[in-house]
Amino acid sequence: MKRRRSLFIHLSYIRILAKKFAIVILVISAFAMMLLNKTESLIIEKTSSVATDMISPMVDFLVVPARLVAGVYDYFGEIKEVYKDNQNLKEENKKLLNMYDKMKVLEVENKLLGSLLNYVAPPEAKFVTARIIAEEGDAFSHSVIAYTGNGDAVKKGQVVLSDRGVVGRVDKVGNMYSKILLITDINSRVPVMVEKNRVRGILAGDNTSIPKMIFIPLDAELNIGDRIVTSGVAGVFPAGLPVGKVAAIDKNNVTIKPYSNLDSLEYVRIVDYGLEGIINDEQQ
Amino acid sequence: MFGLWIMDLRESLTMSSNKFNSMADRNLIREEMTENVKSYFQRLIPFIFSLLLIFLSYVPLDFFLSENIRPAVAFVCVYYWIIHRPDIFNLFSVYFLGLIEDVLSSVPMGTNILSLLVLYILLLNFGRFFNGKPFIVTWYGFAIVCLLTMLTKWLMVSIYYGQFLPFAQVAFSYLFSVAAYPVLSLLNAFVQNYLIQDEV
Repeated sequence: MKRRRSLFIHLSYIRILAKKFAIVILVISAFAMMLLNKTESLIIEKTSSVATDMISPMVDFLVVPARLVAGVYDYFGEIKEVYKDNQNLKEENKKLLNMYDKMKVLEVENKLLGSLLNYVAPPEAKFVTARIIAEEGDAFSHSVIAYTGNGDAVKKGQVVLSDRGVVGRVDKVGNMYSKILLITDINSRVPVMVEKNRVRGILAGDNTSIPKMIFIPLDAELNIGDRIVTSGVAGVFPAGLPVGKVAAIDKNNVTIKPYSNLDSLEYVRIVDYGLEGIINDEQQ
Repeated sequence: MFGLWIMDLRESLTMSSNKFNSMADRNLIREEMTENVKSYFQRLIPFIFSLLLIFLSYVPLDFFLSENIRPAVAFVCVYYWIIHRPDIFNLFSVYFLGLIEDVLSSVPMGTNILSLLVLYILLLNFGRFFNGKPFIVTWYGFAIVCLLTMLTKWLMVSIYYGQFLPFAQVAFSYLFSVAAYPVLSLLNAFVQNYLIQDEV
């Protein structure tokens, strides 16, 4: 009886202390989370994926009504542009039809030359189209959440494309939702090259909308407007995917404007090229 | 015979009055329970509404301002509720809001929790200067407290990555948050005035 009483007193004392130092305890727990995150442990990664799967449906639930409200406003704004767009699209269609004919000729020629050289074509890429349900693009991180996951065979490290070019890569995969790291995020590094002269470098995000190209040879010739494509080095991104164009060159920096409009992504393609550049979870 | 009838009547009267008492008690208990449940849910309203605003801030919309920068909704909500109703918006609400934002965003896990806790600590110490003051004073208060919190967050994430994050983006994000404060606080005030009773 006496022991039970003293235990009770101890417990209530601990409870009072916990209440008193709740802030300190919570601050320490947040620091601990940051440190664990820094170690890139599998536990944190899996917990984070599960948590994303649990919370994302709530944001997903709001997407349709929010877009509907925003859509009404956009509708009246866009109605003026329709006629102009129609004219432009007709012109563009003419050019594309010309290009299609040329492409067909080149495709046949390419096949013939390939067979002459005994060239083995790479396997065709598989892809999943996913809807974007959440996005963030502030000073601290640039990422989006897509409605696709393990169930659709999405894996960490797979390439994410929009209709215009590279958007980023899959960072975390849950059962239904995946987090995609954009090429503008501070953690993003993509091996790229200048299309015309094959000068290689690394596209490094810095949480602004215009990432920088670093590790360029000193004698490299670069001009504003040059097309930048993936170089295929490191085996995460295959070579030749369009990334952006050179926007500015100064003494210290070469900034690249991505082709994809990363501020307003609605749908993306997550492509499986069968590359194993990023160490997968099982290997970790 | 008459005496027996009188006794029976008295007994039945007592029984029915007992029945009436127990029914009244039950109703009273039911009312009390309903009241308790109502009060419990009302205590959760600020947290749920803040959560809703945070979720909305992540909805992908083609915003007219470039670079996709959005106001720090969590800062506004925590500031508003700690200043106006600290009795129903406590430390754990702040912690869980931070945790949920950490899950949604790609910042290192724990960053949003820490920054919201910094805001909470600042408000514990200086919140009384803004409570019950005209709107313009609370707005200035938010501008000061948000600046300190955002700088802390910027410093924490910069240390984490080992490089300074672009300051212009942080400054823009800060200005946008301060500019959005009146609208967001108006929404919170609506919830406070129409959905929450004074004596929760």
